[in-house]
Amino acid sequence: MLPVHIPHVRLAHLNNGCLHLQVNLRFMDLGDEIQRVLRSVGHNLVKLLRHLLWHLLHLAVSTWYFGLDLAHLLQHYLISSGLLRNYKVLNLSNLRCLAIVVDSEEAQHTSRVVELLSWLSAIGVKHVCLYDMEGVLKESKEIILKKLGDARPPEVADERSLFLERKHMVLEFVSLSDGKEGVAKAASFLCSNYLKGASSGEDQEPVFTEPEMTSALRAIGCGGPDPDLLLVYGSARCHLGFPAWRLRYTEIVHMGSLKSMKYGAMIKSIRKFTMVHQNYGS
Amino acid sequence: MVSLQLPLPKINNRIFLHFNPKPASFFSRVRNCSRAFPCKKKSIFASWTAADAIFGGEEETTTTTAEEEWSLPSELRPELMPKHVAVIMDGNGRWARQRNLPTSFGHKAGLRALTDLIDLSCKWGIRVLTVFAFSTENWLRPKLEVDIFMNLFECVLKEELKKLMRQDVRISVIGDSKKLPKSLQKLKTEVEDTTRNNSGLQLIFALSYTGQYDIVEACKSIAEKTKDGMIQPNDITEAVIEQELETNCTKFPHPDLLIRTSGEQRISNFLLWQLAYTELAFVKSLWPDFGKADFVDVLCSFQQRQRRYGGRDS
Repeated sequence: MLPVHIPHVRLAHLNNGCLHLQVNLRFMDLGDEIQRVLRSVGHNLVKLLRHLLWHLLHLAVSTWYFGLDLAHLLQHYLISSGLLRNYKVLNLSNLRCLAIVVDSEEAQHTSRVVELLSWLSAIGVKHVCLYDMEGVLKESKEIILKKLGDARPPEVADERSLFLERKHMVLEFVSLSDGKEGVAKAASFLCSNYLKGASSGEDQEPVFTEPEMTSALRAIGCGGPDPDLLLVYGSARCHLGFPAWRLRYTEIVHMGSLKSMKYGAMIKSIRKFTMVHQNYGS
Repeated sequence: MVSLQLPLPKINNRIFLHFNPKPASFFSRVRNCSRAFPCKKKSIFASWTAADAIFGGEEETTTTTAEEEWSLPSELRPELMPKHVAVIMDGNGRWARQRNLPTSFGHKAGLRALTDLIDLSCKWGIRVLTVFAFSTENWLRPKLEVDIFMNLFECVLKEELKKLMRQDVRISVIGDSKKLPKSLQKLKTEVEDTTRNNSGLQLIFALSYTGQYDIVEACKSIAEKTKDGMIQPNDITEAVIEQELETNCTKFPHPDLLIRTSGEQRISNFLLWQLAYTELAFVKSLWPDFGKADFVDVLCSFQQRQRRYGGRDS
């Protein structure tokens, strides 16, 4: 019966319509799903490619720096073996005083310090000022002087002889107490002299000058020439409190740790210094 | 200089720690980008300095907002920023000579680079910025060059004062002011008074200054005090001298980081007393070319060293 069928047909129609709708919807869902999956795959692919690119970039940079390190090593080897003509003979006329700052922990390795000093002595450096914060090198002074043989402390060295004619190396030992503490003592020295003048009736303002401070430092035993070059051996890229008064125009080079010191690196730094032109601000 | 910024995964930065920090270069940019950074910039490579703005015209390279341009780069950690940065601004003359320009152009470009550095320092939480503007030895330069520099400095200070007030910058000037032109001396006093109560970045100009001059002046002040009986000569210690130095105008008198441009590796009589434990960064760029990228590079190196060796008293 039609009414009976109609519902069925209708139902069927309806059902078919729904089915269509459902099928369409399912197709749409499927389509959406596929799109979503594709988008996700695409996104992950892009992410993966970015990761890859980033790591490739880092690999390239690491390789570059590795190559640079190798090049430096090779250069240091060539310098040490004397194959590079430019580094064989150094003009040290401008290097009147070389200072070495050593990390106090590394300063305990006296043998390395002695080796470094013997290198310097061999190339003709005439005056070396050794510094570490805690005075470890000061305590090892006798051992170092004995091992070097041809070095003298400033008080014994013949300061009258011309700088380039000296046969031995002058070796100074300096620590934190010669820095700021030394300046404080020099200030105290100057103030005492000023008070003496004031008490004897000279009523004038204190006229301290830089040369007077230099003389005062010398008078209290904290004097010394300004180093032309300062080599810092240690992990920190600072001079660790080296007597500041003497550092006005000193070239400062960080050399890395003492345990990885290289003859070639030292020679390279000294040669670079000999080519520097200073106009002293003018 | 180039700046490479990509959306990056977090990677272990330890493999780079044994490399020595290099001056600003493409490779150092990549090395320093070690943290994930949601990239919003369309342009990846950008190279712009204050010097280009004066002589090369501004390049339209990015579509970033002003805020993004000044925000702390992802490779820098705010908690490891140095409190006090000192700068020796070297290389203005050489920069001008390289371009066949008068030295005054170099100074102009240099002052522009300085204003950019001040902006960055304000945004990135640096508390004190000390710049070596003019050394006592610089008085030996040709009078014309010195006069031009002093006039230029005076003009820029007047022009930038409003902006510096908006940025809450406090200005201090250290050095032998008696040698400065009268107009600059008057301006110095006005500027210091006007900005005295500002609590942001403290900008210290070292003008007609040297480290030895600073120490000697401190000794003179102490000598006056000994004459007045306020202190005995035997009681003079490092701390007493410290209080009399001109850098006593700031809460953080000891720089954490010193930057010197132009490749020279010396302190040149700047803040001798104060630099005992300061990290020294010698950068090859000439001062007018020292831009944001160089500054980021130096700060990254500083922070890496800080990370390795822990804090230190400043």
